[in-house]
Amino acid sequence: MYYVADVNETDCAKYNCKQCVLFCPEPNTLMYHNSKHVAWVNYSRCKGCAICVYVCSDLLKRNCIQMVMMTAGE
Amino acid sequence: MGLEYVRISPGFERYMPKDYVDLVKYGQFGRQVDVQQLGQFKELVEEHPMCAGCFMAYFIRVFYAALPNPEDTIVIGTAGCARLALSQAAVPFVYGNYGDTNAVASGLKRALTIRFPDKVKDVVVIAGDGGLIDIGFGMTMHSWFRREKFTTIMVDNEVYGNTGGQESGMSPKGVQLKMAPKGKQFDKINAVELAKVAGCVYVAKLAPTNPKRIAKTIRRAILAARHFGPTFIHAYTSCNIEYSIPTEKVLEDARKREKQDFAFYEWMTDEVREYFEEIEKKTEEVKA
Ligand SMILES: Cc1ncc(C[n+]2csc(CCOP(=O)(O)OP(=O)(O)O)c2C)c(N)n1
Ligand code: SF4
Ligand SMILES: [Mg+2]
Repeated sequence: MYYVADVNETDCAKYNCKQCVLFCPEPNTLMYHNSKHVAWVNYSRCKGCAICVYVCSDLLKRNCIQMVMMTAGE
Repeated sequence: MGLEYVRISPGFERYMPKDYVDLVKYGQFGRQVDVQQLGQFKELVEEHPMCAGCFMAYFIRVFYAALPNPEDTIVIGTAGCARLALSQAAVPFVYGNYGDTNAVASGLKRALTIRFPDKVKDVVVIAGDGGLIDIGFGMTMHSWFRREKFTTIMVDNEVYGNTGGQESGMSPKGVQLKMAPKGKQFDKINAVELAKVAGCVYVAKLAPTNPKRIAKTIRRAILAARHFGPTFIHAYTSCNIEYSIPTEKVLEDARKREKQDFAFYEWMTDEVREYFEEIEKKTEEVKA
């Protein structure tokens, strides 16, 4: 089990913002889908720091990212 | 940026690791990226073992996206946390002995200038507060006294992070750390003023709260070093482990410190200022 960020695509697609992507400390991890206009997480690289949640919920009040538990292989 | 440098020989594509193929197809090679496009191209720096939520790792991520000419850049690091990520990037990396970075960089930059007289090779040192201002203090200072043309970036987490929490000259006065149980007795060293007095031509101080500004500062420091002399960036890059900052509060902490003692600061000589005004005018003319 490990802890990763998970983006709610429907909510995120409303904003075209990508601010979370610009503050993730990890390279090639929190990505942005250009045509769908949503952020997405490469789960196997996420270290679970939740800085993206701070950006999305605390700074922007958009609440599109949640931390979730995942089992290897999911 | 030159694509030839990384292009895979015909027929070998399917044998190359996926990360390498992605780097060639969707990476920074062959085009100039904007830091705002992070998350939409394959980055030069790969997975690395720095801690979750480490803002030194974040700064390094932005650093690679900001490089004006990555295929002709050589990064020099040393013992300390930063090298854990610096050594995982598709940019040549030299591991200087602890404290020696700026001596190694001086020799390297001079040798590259002789070896490649028609090419610009950017040399950048990235090391910790301990590496540059404590144990490497003499070599850092003397590289500036000699006006060596490369960039020095201090990733200041105000502690010896990699060795478990000894105080450094950059730790704030009074701070209690695992291996400074009585609290630090002396003031934080004013590295920026030292750099100015020692001969740097461009000096900046920042907290990593604004990726666009970090990138602009890094590019300016590298360009000024190409033409004029030593340049220095003092970046606050917190250690959430040694300072017990919950990872989700790391950016909040950087914003707080920016308001206190890490307000954005930039200083340059008149000559460097004129140079930037000139190139910025040219880019505006191209846009118009
Ligand atoms: C010559 C030498 N002395 C001491 C060490 C042990 N050492 C490794 S990392 C480190 C401190 C790192 O602190 P800093 O430079 O601030 O980098 P940080 O890990 O905090 O990023 C020390 C003392 C060494 N590797 N080489
Ligand atoms: S020990 Fe501190 S500076 Fe080093 S990787 Fe971990 S959080 Fe970053
Ligand atoms: Mg340090």
